[in-house]
Amino acid sequence: MNNTIEIRGLTRRYGKLEAVNGLNLSVRAGCCYGFFGRNGAGKTTTIKCLLNLLRPTAGTVRVFGLDPQKNEVAVKSRLAYVPDAVAFYPWMTVRDTLEYFASFRTHWNRDIETDLLARFGLTAAQKASTLSRGQKTQLALITAICPEPELLVLDEPTSGLDPIVRREFIETVIGAYQSGDPENRTVFVSTHLISEFEGLIDQFTIIEQGCELLTMEADHARDRFKKIRARFAQTPPPLRLPCALRVTLNGREAEILANGNSEQLIAELESLRPEEVRCESLSLEEIFVASRILTPSVQ
Amino acid sequence: MLFQIDFQSGKPVYLQLVDQVRYAAAAGALRPGEPLPSIRPLAEELRVNRNTIAKAYTELESQGVIETIPGKGCFLKDNHSPFTKAVRQKLLFKEIDQAVVTAHHLQVDREAFLAMIKERLDYFERKAAVAEDEGSKTTPRRTP
Repeated sequence: MNNTIEIRGLTRRYGKLEAVNGLNLSVRAGCCYGFFGRNGAGKTTTIKCLLNLLRPTAGTVRVFGLDPQKNEVAVKSRLAYVPDAVAFYPWMTVRDTLEYFASFRTHWNRDIETDLLARFGLTAAQKASTLSRGQKTQLALITAICPEPELLVLDEPTSGLDPIVRREFIETVIGAYQSGDPENRTVFVSTHLISEFEGLIDQFTIIEQGCELLTMEADHARDRFKKIRARFAQTPPPLRLPCALRVTLNGREAEILANGNSEQLIAELESLRPEEVRCESLSLEEIFVASRILTPSVQ
Repeated sequence: MLFQIDFQSGKPVYLQLVDQVRYAAAAGALRPGEPLPSIRPLAEELRVNRNTIAKAYTELESQGVIETIPGKGCFLKDNHSPFTKAVRQKLLFKEIDQAVVTAHHLQVDREAFLAMIKERLDYFERKAAVAEDEGSKTTPRRTP
């Protein structure tokens, strides 16, 4: 098994509530994997099962080919995790916190630590309790990157942060983390701020009500799902385009969603002599928003 | 060199980078022997996966546009077509056909289309000449 993460038929119940229901997912090494879903879709539950913070009700989870329940230390020593809300011991300073985290690791890159402290403008002597939310996330990112783990698990890392901190966060993941040993640097990120991670994502899964809705390569998805806008001289008659995913008419303008057949749809539209036809890809965020319309036609 | 990424253009990001390097080379914004930005800062700046940049550079290398010198980086090559004349022609026909089809739909007739092509050729030649001129004034040309 060469995949960094391999999830088969994962189910996790809280009492009667099925948070995750038969989820399958594979993340290859060196890939940046996006895990998208609405609030309550089961993202955090899945991530907690990866980290053995929760036991699956059914199904198997493998990280580096190992079972996180049986080989907890072996798995955890090779990954790092940044949760959405980070908490540090309030009495520790930034320096204390870094030493504390480093004491659990066999490897700690001091150069990266110095670089990132300077980049984020964090003062080593400052108490963790006085850090702002953005600074706490920055500190958490430093503790995650300095051990240079093979897998970086990010759970809603940028929610609640200001745009500059979010930008720095992503640049740090790309720069300080990913470029060290790119073949062996895997990122698994759950987020609903998809547009910010758009350039980073190689592959993604959209999860809804604990089930996988759509899994695709990002480039392939953008190639396949397109938005065609056509403007006509007069309000056109109702457009009969059976192979379109969705047709929205708005006065003289029509918006058509295409699933891999944009050329055919454009040809059909051309026969109606529109004034203008434009075609663009859906962004990952638009794919996420429209995923319920998009998916029946994929399977 | 300024790259611009458009996630909605329908073209894979790495191919956008490939095209932009080729455009810059044709317009003289990037001259033979000049280095391309290195992967990490470019990835950070564009906020795209470093694998995407690496893929673009690999593609440019296989097209013979750039060459990689280990430990130094990527540089624009001097004479950059490794293809035979027939292959070059075929590749170019594909692109020309596309423009011809677009011209047809926009009701641009033969003479106007040919005039436009001439105009664009002149434009690139002028741009390259200006870049060459400025280059010889400021930075000494280096060959890797």
